[in-house]
Amino acid sequence: MAESILRRWNQELTIAGAIVLLLLPLIGIQPKTYLTLTIAGIAMGMLLFLVASGVSIIFGLMDVLNFAHGALFAWGAYVGFTVFKYLMKWVVADSVLQNLAVFFIAIVAAMVAVALLGVVLERVIVRRVYGNHLFQILITFGATIVLVELIRVFWGPNDETMTVPLTFAGNWDIMDVIVYRYRVICIVIGAMVYAVLQLILKKTKLGTIVRAGVEDRDMVQAMGHNIYLLFTGVFAVGAGLAALGGLAMSIFSLQVYPDMGGTYLLFAFIVVIIGGLGSVTGSLVGALIVGLTYNYVAYLVPWAAAGVNILIMIIILLIRPTGLFAAGK
Amino acid sequence: MGEQGVDETILEVQGVHTFIGQHHILQGISFDAKADAVTVLIGRNGAGKSTALKTVIGLLPSSKGKIIYKGKEIQKNRPFEIARMGIGFVPENMGIFSELTVEENMRVAMLVENEATARRLDRTLEMFADLKKFWKAKAGNLSGGQKQMLAIARAIVNDTSLLLIDEPSKGLAPIIVDAVIDAINRIKEHSVVVLVEQNFYMASSVGDYFFILDDGMVAHAGHVEALIQDEALQSKYLGISEAEE
Amino acid sequence: MAGPTPVQIFHEEEKKRQYRSGTFFLKVGLLLLFLLVPVLFPAFKTIDLAMQIVLFAVLVASFDILLGYTGILSFGHGMFFGIGAYCVAFLIGKYGMPSYTNLALGFLIAAIVSAALALLISFLTLRVKTIFFAMITLAIAELAIILATKLTGFTGGEDGISLNTPGIFAVSFNMGDFMGLEITGRVFTYYFILFSCIALFLIMLRFTRSPLGRVLQAIRDNVQRAEALGYNTFLYQSISITFGCIMAALIGGLYAMWVGYVNPESSLGVLTIMLDVLLMVIIGGMGTLYGGIIGAAFLKITQTFLPDLQHLAMDLFPHAQLLHNVLERWLLLFGILFILVVIFFPKGVIGSVNEYLLQRKMAKPTISPSSFTPTPPGNRP
Ligand SMILES: Nc1ncnc2c1ncn2[C@@H]1O[C@H](COP(=O)(O)OP(=O)(O)OP(=O)(O)O)[C@@H](O)[C@H]1O
Ligand SMILES: [Mg+2]
Repeated sequence: MAESILRRWNQELTIAGAIVLLLLPLIGIQPKTYLTLTIAGIAMGMLLFLVASGVSIIFGLMDVLNFAHGALFAWGAYVGFTVFKYLMKWVVADSVLQNLAVFFIAIVAAMVAVALLGVVLERVIVRRVYGNHLFQILITFGATIVLVELIRVFWGPNDETMTVPLTFAGNWDIMDVIVYRYRVICIVIGAMVYAVLQLILKKTKLGTIVRAGVEDRDMVQAMGHNIYLLFTGVFAVGAGLAALGGLAMSIFSLQVYPDMGGTYLLFAFIVVIIGGLGSVTGSLVGALIVGLTYNYVAYLVPWAAAGVNILIMIIILLIRPTGLFAAGK
Repeated sequence: MGEQGVDETILEVQGVHTFIGQHHILQGISFDAKADAVTVLIGRNGAGKSTALKTVIGLLPSSKGKIIYKGKEIQKNRPFEIARMGIGFVPENMGIFSELTVEENMRVAMLVENEATARRLDRTLEMFADLKKFWKAKAGNLSGGQKQMLAIARAIVNDTSLLLIDEPSKGLAPIIVDAVIDAINRIKEHSVVVLVEQNFYMASSVGDYFFILDDGMVAHAGHVEALIQDEALQSKYLGISEAEE
Repeated sequence: MAGPTPVQIFHEEEKKRQYRSGTFFLKVGLLLLFLLVPVLFPAFKTIDLAMQIVLFAVLVASFDILLGYTGILSFGHGMFFGIGAYCVAFLIGKYGMPSYTNLALGFLIAAIVSAALALLISFLTLRVKTIFFAMITLAIAELAIILATKLTGFTGGEDGISLNTPGIFAVSFNMGDFMGLEITGRVFTYYFILFSCIALFLIMLRFTRSPLGRVLQAIRDNVQRAEALGYNTFLYQSISITFGCIMAALIGGLYAMWVGYVNPESSLGVLTIMLDVLLMVIIGGMGTLYGGIIGAAFLKITQTFLPDLQHLAMDLFPHAQLLHNVLERWLLLFGILFILVVIFFPKGVIGSVNEYLLQRKMAKPTISPSSFTPTPPGNRP
């Protein structure tokens, strides 16, 4: 009883904190700029969510901290880049339909390819080190080196420019508030992924088993569920989401480069520490916090932008070491 | 009740050794479970009772020895394969998924969702009325006794022929213990039960055969009735748990 | 006093054997080699290579204090190294004159700053999960690079800081010829760093063999048991981490003295320094301290001669494009090597050799008291 009251209290505290945090920047920012920044922050948050949710579920279910997630992210971006390159006609066509088609093909290609890569990674490498955190980190770090180097071998070591599908570029001007179209698309993608994930986790039997596994792997096994198959599946889904994040982010930042995964892996770590490892909702909230503060601070005090998220992470670690939405265990 | 039947052995553990890390916990343990009977494993704390059950279900790998279930060696199988052969497991900590609702807990437990399972679910819920009452509640909010009921219900909702239950009376009030005894007495009508139990009252109320474990080995075995007679044996191995009661 | 106990006899035997054993001669030989490098191979390239091996071997050893002896993976070790380098560079480069006092002060400040930061990070992460240490040190190390790059006024930004070493360490210092060797500031610096590194290495060796070091290994092997035995694991781990990080900072300071220049990428980089250190410790073997020497020598020598190897391959097989591509991406090979070593030889070179020797020793029985079975150092992470 007391526990549930405490939990509710915590939830209210979180919401209150979030609102204050959200409105605080208004002190230093014009309302219109503020709205633009907020949309940018939410868009960035949604993209971070795509990366972080994979890290979070993989850790929650498998107890594996996947340092190779950033490399999978970069692979997603590069696969999408290749699709764009071959279907450049459709990318630059002034047709919503063709733009959507190429975008969709790129997403499917990136997610499928990287999910397969994830399966290989899990089966060949990660599986050997279950239960040993130190070796997991080492081995997935080694996998990162190999995957990033392979990008350099296949696509060359230099930055490449990513093209925004023509009708996604530009912005709407809604009562003097500038709203970039692609950011809205990012928000829609993130929200959709969150909804689908929640639906699967909450409403399907498979999702229920995954949530049960996050709490107690051994029990799920002892009930007759093939946990290893589940691990591979979840790893593949996590990899696929990272790929989607990578592709979306590369369009956002207009470029792909071999090392691009490193920065976002770091963001993902910050997000899951803030949100709580193992919780999808935690990842979303954490990602939005990181995305928003990053954008506000980058506008107000540009040099402090990178540090402020680490500061938030440290504060969260001090007051609530398991993150805002601690899952299971 | 049902100790007449054919003298058929459904589970046979032969000289099994289990290590946890570098610790040699089970040191050549042997016991069996006869059909139509409840076999009780007793022994002081740390004797290796839980380890024995976990080894049977495959959660801990054995390094030596054989585990034969229905005539098949299963010691090399993985837990989920063993479970699918019809062995249900209720661990010592009950293994409740506390973030899930009671309903979801039951669903995760149901391996196949067909009519037979639905019938078993009805039967189970009739046996544990509380579960029906809190069907949509979060399992973490259940009381200790209700959690134990849920844990047992999860194990018997499938078509199990062998049920491994680890200390179901742990931390429960005497009245609730009686309810658990009732439940086990009903379960033994359709499934063989291997029960780890410290509570001698419970062990003697449901058990047919007993094995006393000590330091990872079997120290004594026989009919529970004989154990009830043998006060010396009781005080040697079960002194502590009786004093507690 | 009564006669020596079996254990004492065993230790005595062990000690005697130590001075006769092959490894003892190996160590002396290695030491002689490094002592004679400036005499035998006075070319800058070889001296520099030797110095880099020494510095990295000791840096890897300090990393091993965390990884191999405490079971904690830090991605911030490069940062602590960099903090040391920057502190020394500030004191005798950007904000102070090159003097011995300032140099010493630089090392002192390096130790204090790194100790404070290490304690802070330990406090933040160890309360939760030890794996948080890896994530958070990665984040903070990245932040350090950003700060060093962006705070141009304070750190010199991307351009970094050049520093001048004082007195006998100065580049301009020259004492003339001595037995064919030109005694320059460079030579003094080489020996100063070499002896400092040996001292640091011995301190670390002492640390791991102290009672404290044994407690740490007990914690590493089984946290629950160590806690059950009443050890404050948090405290012990923090001490060990802080010790390792101070060592890294001091080595960073020595490194700055040697290269005479610090910048964010070469001194702080996660992808430059950390990668090398990780490869070295894995190849050499975790939990051995000596593994760092092998790892550092292997990696530094390969890196130095890779361009030559590439040219050689170009000359020998001018048409094997694939070979050239792969050699160009040598990091790919190292990455694969890294994964293979982690999977198949998790104990690294030293650990595997130790295991092999131990097995041979077990095969032919030697005197050993029944109650005392020697275990290989660093048998698992
Ligand atoms: N993870 C572990 N690491 C080390 N030793 C363990 C571990 N788990 C159990 N043990 C040891 O194994 C022995 C047997 O444990 P087990 O849980 O099987 O005992 P038990 O008979 O079930 O005791 P209890 O009546 O207290 O439940 C104990 O001595 C215990 O300390
Ligand atoms: Mg037990």
